[in-house]
Amino acid sequence: MSKKITIALAGNPNVGKSTLFTAITGKRQHTGNWPGVTVEKKSGSVRHHDTDIEVVDLPGTYSLTAYSQDEVIARDFIIDGKPDVVVQVVDATSLERNLYLTTQLSELGVPLVIALNMADMAEQRGDVIDLQKMSKYLEIPVVRTVGSKGEGIGGLLDAVVRESGTSPHHEHSIGYGDRVEPVIADLIEALRQDPALTSRYPPRWLAVRLLEGDEDAEKKIKVSRARDAIYSILSGIDAGEYEALMADRRYEVIAAVLPQVCTTCVGEMTASDLIDRVVTSRYLGIPIFLVLMWGAFELTFTVASPFMAMIEAVQEYLAGVAAGIQPGWLATLIGDGLIGGVGSVLIFLPNIFILLFLLAILEDSGYLARAAFVMDRLMYSIGLPGRSFIPMIVGFGCNVPAIMATRTIEDTSDRLITILINPFISCGARLPVFVLFAGLFFPENPGTVIFGLYVLGIVVAIASAKLFRATILPGKPAPFLMEMPPYRLPTAMTSVRHMWDRGSMYIRKAGGIILIGALVIWALAASPAGVEYGSAASYAGMIGQAVQPLFAPLGFNWEMTVSLIFGFVAKEIVIASLGTLYGVGEDAGALEGALLADPALGSITALAFMVFVLLYLPCIATMAVIRKETGSWKWTAFSIVFGTAVAYLAAFIIARGGALLFGGVIP
Amino acid sequence: MTGLPLAFVPAGRKVTVSEVRAGPGMFRRLSSMGLHPSSLVEVVCADRGSLIVAVAGCRYALSRGMAMKVMVQEEGA
Repeated sequence: MSKKITIALAGNPNVGKSTLFTAITGKRQHTGNWPGVTVEKKSGSVRHHDTDIEVVDLPGTYSLTAYSQDEVIARDFIIDGKPDVVVQVVDATSLERNLYLTTQLSELGVPLVIALNMADMAEQRGDVIDLQKMSKYLEIPVVRTVGSKGEGIGGLLDAVVRESGTSPHHEHSIGYGDRVEPVIADLIEALRQDPALTSRYPPRWLAVRLLEGDEDAEKKIKVSRARDAIYSILSGIDAGEYEALMADRRYEVIAAVLPQVCTTCVGEMTASDLIDRVVTSRYLGIPIFLVLMWGAFELTFTVASPFMAMIEAVQEYLAGVAAGIQPGWLATLIGDGLIGGVGSVLIFLPNIFILLFLLAILEDSGYLARAAFVMDRLMYSIGLPGRSFIPMIVGFGCNVPAIMATRTIEDTSDRLITILINPFISCGARLPVFVLFAGLFFPENPGTVIFGLYVLGIVVAIASAKLFRATILPGKPAPFLMEMPPYRLPTAMTSVRHMWDRGSMYIRKAGGIILIGALVIWALAASPAGVEYGSAASYAGMIGQAVQPLFAPLGFNWEMTVSLIFGFVAKEIVIASLGTLYGVGEDAGALEGALLADPALGSITALAFMVFVLLYLPCIATMAVIRKETGSWKWTAFSIVFGTAVAYLAAFIIARGGALLFGGVIP
Repeated sequence: MTGLPLAFVPAGRKVTVSEVRAGPGMFRRLSSMGLHPSSLVEVVCADRGSLIVAVAGCRYALSRGMAMKVMVQEEGA
């Protein structure tokens, strides 16, 4: 008969839980080398012999007292989700710190199995870990695993299935010593007045949590009938002192066990530290960061161009075929709508993919956490913790995962500000607009112009953060405290996989929402019947002309206006709709010609347009994630209005300032 | 035995934590990361205000403000 059990993968951040999850379930999960990659629990399943195992991958947590949103998710699942077995994934290279969580998990009374992960790295370093002794002293099964190579998965599942049958389970709690234990006993006694509570949570665990001043445990007591008895015990002691005693005791236990099970488990100065001395040093830190980012954008531009030429050649061929199709309306649908619209976006996929690949390398190597450290002082001076810098970098790829990554930020207003400024960080979807316009109107140094736009996005984000701190969200950022993961050499395979995970979204978008957008714009440009395609008399022309006066001060013509209106669906649509409206499908490469020939467009207007696209309202997907993460329509609306106002102002300054400086007349 | 704040320890020096003068929340957080009284700490980088320290085989970045609250004793002192 088959059995069904649920197990939870818990553990400190960045110990390889998601990699192990992938190895167990075969379900791919985004991983990276910085704490806080997983911010939501993910589940998958596997069948082991005759047991169906539901595996839940949890965000990393240092302890069962939760501080940030992602840790709350993990803690709640372990405590209230009642998994049959908790697998604590332990980083074999830093046992001491990892075992602290073990001492807390073992108080829960849930069957526990330790997956001694990254064991190969510990062994390479010369550590010898005695699994049997470790199991014996901790009274918890320990299994050696190497998630990245899929080693030890069978053994781990064997242990999990075995443990799932061992209920009711005793709590292997550690003793807290002569001063603390009597108080714990009193608290347990008091808790027994509320059987409903003690049947849901192990009383000893609740007592320990209460002594440590855990807010969540206090909340549970507030509504309990045991409340008064517990308050009278707690009011009689100095909680801070007890808390310190208990933390000491936990480490004493760990310190006693550790030398028995592990030889040479002590950190020496490693290559990681030597690299850190350089990349985080006072004078070199920020320059190194800037050079890396600038190099990434230059590479994005140069490496992509041969690929772009290839895609362009294919499109040119297809356009030639399409032009011969009968009847004529079908030819323009395919030529102008499909190839002109979607094709204009596809051409920039090489840029997006190369940028994502380079970002994946930054993530996988562990440098991202250093960038946050290097930027901490700058971030602090604008009123944000250094941790907020990571979502900003992730936002270069896409704002949606970036805004989700803010869950690791503990303080609510720190987090809200980080979310609100993220849409200013230029994502991959905006890159096509920049590549096209910068390449056309600034042919000598397009890479530098694009880099400048990215910098502008960061500057606007920073200025906005400072503004929010000074006005609507006052306060001081939480002090910086973050783990620096050891550097790992990213393999080409994993970085390519990351690139694909995030980049395939852009392909799906091109075949979905952008295709639909291009077709709608084509339909608007081709109707009413008999109208000249894409002319001012078409519906698209009418819409554009109706709204265009609003954008006239910025120098945008009606075609650009229409593209901006549709661009809120997804920012690539700006290019797709320009391609459709300028009717360039028959001859790939003609969008460039058509744009250059348009008398309304000069380099100043092009710059104003790029800046507007950079800053104006976030795309639909970003809006949705802002709504979800802030839980408020008010902040979502604020983000939209603020972004558009800033974009308008910035584009206006460029358009008018440019006209003043160079005497150009903006029609 | 109070010693000096961790923030004043130069890079490359190994010290022992003697006291963590932080509020209950921060104390728990530091404890769960391995920074607790009697733990051994090595300062890895300390030339930009915030510092990177090695504790129990892990590297943490912490702000100078927080490093001021962690009192340490030099080894052998």
